[in-house]
Amino acid sequence: MSGGLLTALAAITLTFFALRLAAGDPVASLLSQGLTTPEQAETVRRSLGYHLPILQQYLFFLGNLVRGDLGVSLYSGQPVSAIIGSQLASTLQLALVSLAIALPLGILLGSASSWKSRPAAQRSATTLSGLATSLPVATTGVISLLIVSLLARGQVRGVQLWLPALVLGFAASGPFARAVHSGLESTLSSPFILAAKARGLNRTRRMYWHALRPALPAAIALIALEAAFLFAGAVVTETVFSRPGLGRTLVSSILQADFPVAQGIVALAAVLYVGSQVVADGLGWILDPRLREGR
Amino acid sequence: MNFFRRTGVWQGSLAFAILLLGACATEPTGLRELTYGLTLAPTGIDPHINASVELGIPLTSVYDTLIFQDSDSGEFVPGLATDWSISPDGLVYTFTLREDVEFHDGTPFDAEAVKANIDYVMNPDHRSQKAAAMLGPLENVAVLGSHEVKFHLDRPYAPLLDSLSQVYLGMASPSALEEWGPVDYQFHQVGTGPFRFVEYLPNDRLVLERNPDYAWAPEIYRRETPGVDRITFRFFEDPATRALALEGGQVDVIGELPHHEADRMDEMSEFDVDPVLIPGQPLQLIFNTERSPTDDAGVREALVIGVDRSRIVNTVFGGNSPTAVGPLAANTFGFAEEAAFPEYDPAIAAGLLEAAGWILPEGENVRSNGDTELKLDLVVPPWGSNPEVGQLVASAWEQLGADVSLTVAPGFGPLNEARAEGEYSAIGMNSFGTDPDLLRPFYDSDGFFNWSGYRDLGLDGLLKAGAESVASPEQREQFYQEFAEQVRDAWLILPVRDYVNLVGSSQRVEGLHFSSQGWFPYLNDLELQP
Amino acid sequence: MGRRLAIIWLVAITGIALLAPWLSLNPPGQSLFEPLAPPGNGLPLGADALGRDFLARMMYGARLSLLLTGLAVTVTLILGGLAGFSAAIVGGRFESGVNWLSNVLLAIPGLLLAMLFVAAWGPGIAAVVLAVGIGFAPSFGRVTRTIVAKLMGEGYVMAAQASGGNSLWITSRHLLPNSLPQLASYAGTYVAWAFLGVTTLTFLGLAGDPSIPEWGALLDSSRLHLQSAPRLAAAPALAITLTVLAVHAIAKKDPLA
Repeated sequence: MSGGLLTALAAITLTFFALRLAAGDPVASLLSQGLTTPEQAETVRRSLGYHLPILQQYLFFLGNLVRGDLGVSLYSGQPVSAIIGSQLASTLQLALVSLAIALPLGILLGSASSWKSRPAAQRSATTLSGLATSLPVATTGVISLLIVSLLARGQVRGVQLWLPALVLGFAASGPFARAVHSGLESTLSSPFILAAKARGLNRTRRMYWHALRPALPAAIALIALEAAFLFAGAVVTETVFSRPGLGRTLVSSILQADFPVAQGIVALAAVLYVGSQVVADGLGWILDPRLREGR
Repeated sequence: MNFFRRTGVWQGSLAFAILLLGACATEPTGLRELTYGLTLAPTGIDPHINASVELGIPLTSVYDTLIFQDSDSGEFVPGLATDWSISPDGLVYTFTLREDVEFHDGTPFDAEAVKANIDYVMNPDHRSQKAAAMLGPLENVAVLGSHEVKFHLDRPYAPLLDSLSQVYLGMASPSALEEWGPVDYQFHQVGTGPFRFVEYLPNDRLVLERNPDYAWAPEIYRRETPGVDRITFRFFEDPATRALALEGGQVDVIGELPHHEADRMDEMSEFDVDPVLIPGQPLQLIFNTERSPTDDAGVREALVIGVDRSRIVNTVFGGNSPTAVGPLAANTFGFAEEAAFPEYDPAIAAGLLEAAGWILPEGENVRSNGDTELKLDLVVPPWGSNPEVGQLVASAWEQLGADVSLTVAPGFGPLNEARAEGEYSAIGMNSFGTDPDLLRPFYDSDGFFNWSGYRDLGLDGLLKAGAESVASPEQREQFYQEFAEQVRDAWLILPVRDYVNLVGSSQRVEGLHFSSQGWFPYLNDLELQP
Repeated sequence: MGRRLAIIWLVAITGIALLAPWLSLNPPGQSLFEPLAPPGNGLPLGADALGRDFLARMMYGARLSLLLTGLAVTVTLILGGLAGFSAAIVGGRFESGVNWLSNVLLAIPGLLLAMLFVAAWGPGIAAVVLAVGIGFAPSFGRVTRTIVAKLMGEGYVMAAQASGGNSLWITSRHLLPNSLPQLASYAGTYVAWAFLGVTTLTFLGLAGDPSIPEWGALLDSSRLHLQSAPRLAAAPALAITLTVLAVHAIAKKDPLA
């Protein structure tokens, strides 16, 4: 857990230095445009701490970060935390609904791709989960928009949440499917399954259930990986479907060189990723007795 | 499916999804609410300080102005001022103010308030980008009584009444201005208008609510009091999203629809499309006269007539836009047909480049003058289909034998920065307005927006004369015609198209009409059919 | 996708990419036609919204997509390979340091790391190539390190070290040729990822110049005309999909599996 924290910290540090070095003097931009007087610029610079050596700025940044102060947008003057706060709900909504789709879909695809008694289903499930992992979200998103707009001929309702969530959820189901599939493959040949067969459990479904349960914790632990994936995926999905959210805000802040906003969002992403890893480790620990026994 | 029932994961996910569904559902209210789509989220929305047009769309109805302009006749009518007079020498304007007006925060509107507003605009530390320039040679405002003010100018200034009729010189509550200061006031705006400012979350929304005490609507409003209770403005920077938002019901009104979408939606009975012609400067490219190769007027001429402007306008905007032929749009006062830029002629253009020393070597694509190649840097803003126009202009210049690099600045800030760095041959810009004096910041030697770097006393003189010409409109027009001819002869710009704002609205929306500037809707008159 | 089909497709688009200037009937940047003109009359894919030959743009797009992908993969392989190789050889604290650094970089999702880079460098084609290249370098570095570390435990390597030669030189002589085949088998997946990264970043508009016909950019600008000209979206979507599937079909090993 402490390792995770250190990693998150390091990621945030990297973000800070990369952007601060690239930003140079943000006030210079405003000055050159004539949007602020030299005296005002100096005041702004001092209030932002830009006159200090960079290490000191970094420490201030960390201190502010802990207090939840992520600085202010270079263009609107609004606090970055407020900007993130207003956009976070939309992205979270998309991420959670996508996850709610990805998890059962992934489990379904992963199980079906081990369903040796139904080769047709097995093949299609394998193909689908392969497509899910390899296709870029931008492409599947546009394709789905294309299909929907051609079918609906104009009136496209419900595009704002369900379609992007479906697209993102489909993409995110890949890792789950793969984990369930490999988990099933290994446990299906394990001794306790053979023992269950010997005990007369011939019904395919009950057999799969016994095999699936130990594979689940591995799948759930993947939620940490998914968090990172979903955030990155949200960036693209929000752009394709023109949904408001952190993803689009990040893209526009990068294009406008609004470094505090870009920095805040990337830092948040790093923290979330590490945090979800910690949570997933905890979940796995709870769900799988074998991990508890220090296996 | 015993399999799934056993795992419970299925149920869990389903329950989860249902919970989320519930969270997404909106509650019905009894309010008459309207959603209006804006495009760019401007860098700042204080009308006294910032220059964007976008801010005027919501804020025109948060403020009242001293006078209003009838968009049909062009006449000025009473607003917060009931009466006014101009001294014979044009240097003193006396306004008598209404006595029954209150700001949204309850403070009374009076002469002191007017003075406080003008002082706020003219304060050099506030760096007003537009409002201050609109006041021209205003010296000061004197308070004569509780409801009488005098504006003292040091030279005659024809555009003053036009300036005072726009949101940039709307009357804000002095106590609010004082309390919040120039940086934060934009998030806490207080006016006297039919709508109150509730909140602004950049890139997310801006919310206005009906002012229940509004009782001083000007005669150009069709309703005495606002027709809807609440208006939420949302931002749709991406042109691809605007028609979608209107069709999907996310917005009831939205401007700047891409033209092919507008054509399509116009044919649908559920929607109306209103093409609003916008006066002011057309969409244009401004040449950098201080940097090679565009410092050579011959080169500039070639770059203008070597581009088939009509074809580009038709390609990008369909039939919805007139091609621009000068520094002013055709429906602006002061537009001069006689000073129109000439048509496309690639042969002459090629000849001009050769005459300027830019020769095309055998088998090469790029011209050279012996030392360097003909390199052009084109910078355009992201709005108004500038990127598309930029692509086609760049391609046309490449056909003439130039090596062109095209950059789309992602916002006004970056555009201005690129301009400040000076690394451009041509940069896209335009401004809007009803009075031709809007040209002055762009063409005057000391103009804030003089992005061409062209400094000519003759041009300055014409602009000054036009601004001071309060005697007769015909005389004013004469000055602006001469001005337009000089701009053309110096080849300072490449005019592209007169702006047309394609506004789409649901047929439930009634009463949508715009001020003479074209952009600003009178939200007071909006009504929603059930 | 079958391997034969994959190879045919990849050879085809590489050929198109190389021969685009000769294969295209019209220049890709010039507006010569009616906007959104439907296919026909010498325009197999019709014209785009600005009246340009869409097929020509798709062909030049193949050029750009492949070029940018190739450059990005090169950056990944060189940067990641060098880091992983040196980490495995030098070992000790240097190795732990590199390990730790790649953990940090991997903590930021690849796409975001790439976007961070574009933020620092400024939008543009160079930024996109470098961003994607650097974004995947930590992962490849890790793969390299694992392979080389494993090889170092092989008998002949230890023998070379024992015979007292300059260990760095000798180990490089033995390790490099023997690790290359294994590394190459992973390279395919990185090509697929780089292609994904490049098309996604240009789709998001981070390449600066809007006129470049890279497939991701074409996909982005097609969104305005989904109803009136779906072919403008379908063509790049199909091209991207087929390319991704083809590369995955040929790539032998997946570093994630």
